[in-house]
Amino acid sequence: MAAVAAAGVPAPTAGGVAAAEEYLVGYLNSTLHIHITDGRMFVGQLKCTDNERNIILAMTNEYRQPSKQDVDLAALRHEERGASGNVKVDMKKRFVGLIVIPGRYITRMEVEG
Amino acid sequence: MVLIDHDADTSIAATRLEREARSAMSYAGPKIRDVTGEFDAAAKQLPPGRLVKDEYFTLFEAVGALEIMDPKMDSGFVPEDDTAEPEFDVCRGLLPTEVLWIMDQLLGLLIGWHDGYPLSQTVFTSLHVDRLLSPDNRRPYNLHFGSSVSTGVSDTEQVIHLVLRAYCLALVKSCALVLHTIQLQNFYEEEDFVTHLFGRELLHGLSAEDALGSIGEAMNWLPTSDIQKDVRDALSARLDFIWTYVSLLTNDLNDWHDLTDVLDTIKATHHLAPPIPEAFSDKVQRQLASSTPPRPMMQVSWDLACQKWREMCEDTVAAGRLTTEDICQSPQSLQRAIWAFAYRDPPPNTYARAYLQTILFGAERLGENTSFFDLLLVDIRDLVLAGDPLANPDNFLIEVPSDPRHQSARIMEVFMDKVFDEYMNFFRMVCQNRCRIRRTFTQSIGVLDSLEAVAVQTDADLDAITPMRNGDVLLCPMTCWVRYQKLQIMIWTIQLGIETDVYLPHELSLMYWLLSWILERKLSLITHSEVFLVWRMSEANGMRDTRVVAECLSSQDYLRSLRTQVEAERSLSIALWQLFTVLTAVKAIKPLKQDYARELLLYEARMKSYLGLTQDPIPPLSEYKAARSALGSVQEVCGTTTAMTKQAKSHLAELKKMTPHQARYVGTEEQFKREVKQMETTCVAIAVQTSQLLRLSVHQAEMGSATSEEKLGIEATVPAPGSRYHDWWVVPQIKSTK
Repeated sequence: MAAVAAAGVPAPTAGGVAAAEEYLVGYLNSTLHIHITDGRMFVGQLKCTDNERNIILAMTNEYRQPSKQDVDLAALRHEERGASGNVKVDMKKRFVGLIVIPGRYITRMEVEG
Repeated sequence: MVLIDHDADTSIAATRLEREARSAMSYAGPKIRDVTGEFDAAAKQLPPGRLVKDEYFTLFEAVGALEIMDPKMDSGFVPEDDTAEPEFDVCRGLLPTEVLWIMDQLLGLLIGWHDGYPLSQTVFTSLHVDRLLSPDNRRPYNLHFGSSVSTGVSDTEQVIHLVLRAYCLALVKSCALVLHTIQLQNFYEEEDFVTHLFGRELLHGLSAEDALGSIGEAMNWLPTSDIQKDVRDALSARLDFIWTYVSLLTNDLNDWHDLTDVLDTIKATHHLAPPIPEAFSDKVQRQLASSTPPRPMMQVSWDLACQKWREMCEDTVAAGRLTTEDICQSPQSLQRAIWAFAYRDPPPNTYARAYLQTILFGAERLGENTSFFDLLLVDIRDLVLAGDPLANPDNFLIEVPSDPRHQSARIMEVFMDKVFDEYMNFFRMVCQNRCRIRRTFTQSIGVLDSLEAVAVQTDADLDAITPMRNGDVLLCPMTCWVRYQKLQIMIWTIQLGIETDVYLPHELSLMYWLLSWILERKLSLITHSEVFLVWRMSEANGMRDTRVVAECLSSQDYLRSLRTQVEAERSLSIALWQLFTVLTAVKAIKPLKQDYARELLLYEARMKSYLGLTQDPIPPLSEYKAARSALGSVQEVCGTTTAMTKQAKSHLAELKKMTPHQARYVGTEEQFKREVKQMETTCVAIAVQTSQLLRLSVHQAEMGSATSEEKLGIEATVPAPGSRYHDWWVVPQIKSTK
């Protein structure tokens, strides 16, 4: 399924409802990265969407930007290890399962593969 | 050829695995393509209401999805004026008294977890615990992530990094130990207890001994500090508490009274602790893996928490006391003991119930020299085979295949193997919560019914080797035993149904009627067994085998106690079914208005668990209706009810005279007495209500206001469970409405 989406269903700008629907069906069960207004990102499998771009994702993980505390801490450790160069801080990840993301909060959508 | 093929297969598989491993190693993250614009454009073209969805994904499932950015649903939602993470520095030094409060708060949250709250609302809300459990924290699990604490830190810092940290480590380890005990036994997730860890691990790099070691260090440091003596002692008491608790959980200690003793000291010093609520926050839920909406932190009531701790200790002590060697040797006494444990008030928590199950089922044997297989044999012997060589344990050791004792022992053994699991359930299920006891027993009825069919065959096989008949009557020991167990389980399901308020008031007439029918069947089984026992005793006396005689006499006492008890229960159930029937007839109890209900359908729905029986099926609805219409006037019914309660009372009086060994209530003497007392009180209450009914009906008949029984102007209410004299015996409260 993901391969179909990756092959690039032509962007349905003028193909009508059927083409639009076919395009969206192509993404079902692909892994989407959805960024929302508060800076979080959700990575899960697309199960359902509608004309307001409300999204249902299954098996979802939430990723949150590290807090200042986390960054400071990582810097401290970096220093202790005597390492040089940039400090790399991972996003904070947790499992949240089945979720609905209302379309109005979505800022960016990406597809894997 | 086959070999070569196999080799080729494995080498292909190996190459593929290697290739996959390589590609995984060089994996630099998936290719990601931005589709924001085109996806949006496509979605906009869909007509409103049209869903594009995976065909296997149902809208029913969709209902369970959590809505992101909805404060009530999204545990990761951060309000605009708030921060994502709590702003509290867990490394900051605190006053020793503040640490005292944190410790007490944790104690309250911990018992809340025992009580059924998830960790996310209890222990995990402690920011100190949260830091220790943070996924990037490693052994030795410090609160600070930087370099180790330099020497010469102040007392206020040491009290955090040494004392509170050790306390938290031990507390978290205690959770791991409790989980281990509970998860090895039967329990019901969410219903009894929540085992979910929300993606956290409970310090898997640290053993309970390590945690106790940290407690030891903290204990050693305390006297060297400058902390005021009373506070120091209070801190030490809390460390002592958690140390004792963990030691009990690891079985290094086994007297739970030790814990109650420390609890008293803790309670006395709780007033020293000023609250520092900022050390706890439900914001930690934003970091926890969870597919549930955010839930508030549990509110701790200190006094209640202490009381719950005390109850847990007492329950655990009771579990030990109810499983002593002499109780465990008698299956019936052990049964009573487990019921007594389940009926402790308030009911023991999940850990205490798991603790009891560990004692009972944790090892192959119960105590020194009893196994459940032995118990099963004793159970069968006591009920149907006392004095019979068939139930002699020595038979099972005879190895000569031609010996009839060997042959019959093998047949017995095969049968006992088949009933063994179900027999164990009689004990295990009583360790579950009340509603589950009833439900699992309901499922057990069908199993026992099919085992009864097996027993019929077993009896035929046994009869072919050693005939057991008294004249024309066959003993059929195994059939008798299984049927007896089945009837007993049916009785319990009805009584537990009454206790858990499964039946509506107007259904009580039917249920007590069925109960009296089952008790009648049970009574005839006991009689059957008694007849054979007497016959066997007359033969045994001739043999003068003292062991056999003792066995028979003991069984005779036991059967007599069963008879007395069943007679009492039967009289009570007859009194109650008739009383409820007449109250329904005079409209003192009104059935619900159910327009589409048919009596037969209602009967079938209510009797669902019992209708499938093929051996000795329950009577049809018509029989109940016939019995109901055969009842006479109100006055006549009152006469029967009064007579029945009198009978029940005299049986109870007789039962009370029996010793613990005779009636098999060794170890539960107190509970036995209490139950008999409750039943006696029930008798009195039935008599009182009956005379009330009689008085009202006669009075109104004299007034001429009652032209028909339907207008007696009487109202009957059914007391709720907990406010009855005995939860299994409901006595209606009768009063006049005029």
